[in-house]
Amino acid sequence: MSAVKCVVWDLDDTVWPGVAIESDAAPEPRDEVIGLLDELERRGIVCSVASRGDPAMASAVRAHPRLGGRFVAPQVGWEPKSGSILRVAETLRIGLDAIAFVDEDPFERAEVAHLLPEVLALSVPELAAAMDGERFSPGRPTGEGRQRASMYRDEERRREAEAGFAGGRAAFLRWCGMRLEIGRAGPADVDRLVELGERTHRLNSTARRHGRDDVLRWLAAGGLTRARLADRFGDSGLVGMVAVERPEAPADWEVALLAVSCRVEGRGVPAALLRRTMDEARAAGAPGLRARYRPNGRNVRVALLLRQLGFARAATEAETLVFRRPLDGELPPFPEWLEIVAG
Amino acid sequence: MTAAGVRARLDPLLAAVLARDPAEVAAMPPSLPLLGDGLGLDSLTGMRLLAAIDREFGVDVAADDLGLDCLETIDTLSRYLAARA
Repeated sequence: MSAVKCVVWDLDDTVWPGVAIESDAAPEPRDEVIGLLDELERRGIVCSVASRGDPAMASAVRAHPRLGGRFVAPQVGWEPKSGSILRVAETLRIGLDAIAFVDEDPFERAEVAHLLPEVLALSVPELAAAMDGERFSPGRPTGEGRQRASMYRDEERRREAEAGFAGGRAAFLRWCGMRLEIGRAGPADVDRLVELGERTHRLNSTARRHGRDDVLRWLAAGGLTRARLADRFGDSGLVGMVAVERPEAPADWEVALLAVSCRVEGRGVPAALLRRTMDEARAAGAPGLRARYRPNGRNVRVALLLRQLGFARAATEAETLVFRRPLDGELPPFPEWLEIVAG
Repeated sequence: MTAAGVRARLDPLLAAVLARDPAEVAAMPPSLPLLGDGLGLDSLTGMRLLAAIDREFGVDVAADDLGLDCLETIDTLSRYLAARA
């Protein structure tokens, strides 16, 4: 079972008792719910809203002193809650199996459970009980993990800005002033790297859970590089890693794992990490760079990225495809909107 | 379906995901690489193309050609779709 990354709340009769009468003021929430919201935030689990009612209620919730700032991408409207949950998943770029839905009305829970069986549908007391379970305990939450809610909110502001930007995507990305710090991973990064290895799906080249042992082994071998991203909206922290096997020249170097947080998808981080790896491999005398790719239906963009950067399939070993790119001649450029700094 | 028939349906999809003039895309040589230096698809526009192909041709390329070898050039993709659509 995968870890819950987002809890989506119903409002009326769930977050607060009864039905909101005015749509310009949110009623007082239940203390029990506030306690759960606090605890979820401590654990780095984001909260959102899927509720039926006047869409103006979303801003009333934002303005409420005890509720404001707690919900990312809230959905209030007249459509079925299953549709609202799909939009939350899309906005946060997480899978439905990473979502729990909380509603005191058994009918609403049944609707969601029927249409979106991957979503965990719970009542408030069921959520309180489930908090002790494995799906709500993401191991040892790291700095980035704990700040996830505020980073999702930065991402929301980033999206709003992009929607209002006329200059095209590349111009928007340049305007964001993105700074990618690429450097060797150190012992202080281990917890976050383990979290990345475990939580990434779409931008994970091996589609396999890599645990602490793998990270420590790569770290000891010195072939572990990490990237930190910041822009004008905030600091996204450590968002990507590449683990490289580096045999003596003249053998090819090989990417054992490329993992980048889905939160920063579309900003060129994996391309920059691979380009940096190509530079290092070429400087060390490697004639080519290989990359192991294990498709799982969700990480197809890794294959697209490898091809975009000039890799071609060189071999197939059981379920793993091995791509290779020769390192002579011109290398693919770093994404033009990224300022690359050594870290 | 013939490779030419496929191109007539594929070119508008390519033009749409790349936001380029359909006539310009239709004039591209079949040997042009799709990704990177050639036509300029990247992982984001590539995902959109795969979704558009699935809708238009009913072919789920990613599920079938795991290494995406068929995305080498316009020609390899056209032949691939001609054999399946």
